[in-house]
Amino acid sequence: MSISQAVETAGDGSRSEFRRGVASCAPVLFGTIPYALVLGAQATQKGLSTVELSAMTGLNFAGGSEFAAIQLWTSPPHVVLIVAITFLVNSRHLLMGAALAPFLRHLPRRKVFPALFFMCDESWALGLADAKQRTAAGITPAFSPRYYMGAALAMYLTWVAFTTLGALLGPMLGDVGTYGFDMAFPAVFLVLMRGMWTGMAAARPWLVSLVVAAMVYLFVPGAWYVAAGAMSGLVAAWLMAGDA
Amino acid sequence: MIDGVTLLTIVLMAGVTYLTRIGGYVVLRNRTLSGRATAVMEAAPGCVLISVIAPAFVSSNPADLLALAITLVAATRFSMLPTVLIGVASAGLLRHFIG
Repeated sequence: MSISQAVETAGDGSRSEFRRGVASCAPVLFGTIPYALVLGAQATQKGLSTVELSAMTGLNFAGGSEFAAIQLWTSPPHVVLIVAITFLVNSRHLLMGAALAPFLRHLPRRKVFPALFFMCDESWALGLADAKQRTAAGITPAFSPRYYMGAALAMYLTWVAFTTLGALLGPMLGDVGTYGFDMAFPAVFLVLMRGMWTGMAAARPWLVSLVVAAMVYLFVPGAWYVAAGAMSGLVAAWLMAGDA
Repeated sequence: MIDGVTLLTIVLMAGVTYLTRIGGYVVLRNRTLSGRATAVMEAAPGCVLISVIAPAFVSSNPADLLALAITLVAATRFSMLPTVLIGVASAGLLRHFIG
């Protein structure tokens, strides 16, 4: 594993740290596999080949944005719309990276930059929680790069492998709408939003987004409803933050 | 196997995603965001996700609306896997029986 070697730090690198990371990620993988399969199956219905889907999940490696992209996928795809939506969905990474930054200061950038490619919600949460526990226990350095990479690579390989498997099995499943599999998207998104929930006040911009997106969807042709809903929610968040 | 526009889209997606991953570390490591900017950043992912699934909330099919309501309740109580299973099962069954 060249990547794990890349983030190895002097005096704090051992195989057991890597294994500890993989093990802590195992329960998370169990929940990841079903929707990796659903994403792959849905992608083939939208006309992506298995190679294209694998390239997307392997290079982009950010499930929420991939679900959004597949949902909006047309043939040919609307490049600007999908890239903009990808950025908006993944803008949370900016906050996540900022939260992790204080723990990465002792590491050289040439090791941090490859490691951050693998930062997803799960590996970030595990790595940060572990660093906080180690801080409380008085262990320095607090951040264990090998633990983080164990969790991150387990997520990465599982995501790419099972989205690819979903794409391969997709044609055998037929139209996913017939069985209700398309409801997996709202289900996944709603659970992700539950995880972001910090109270009714903070969720008011989401309601603005929902109402605007629904209205634009009903009355304006095309996929503008996503951009209109997202932007109106952000404006609402900006204005509401001024009240507080 | 790989279409040109599709490849371009995927590469650009991967590019902006990687920028979001390193951006927080590179730009924000030595400063703090203003309250308003933080509020907008925190609201952004949810605003995008709800906008993408907004059409489901205004479906003209009663079976779909009922299944969405069930899925919404499930999402407040259960983790990812049970919620997806409940959502898919309720949509499949309700469409079969209500139409």
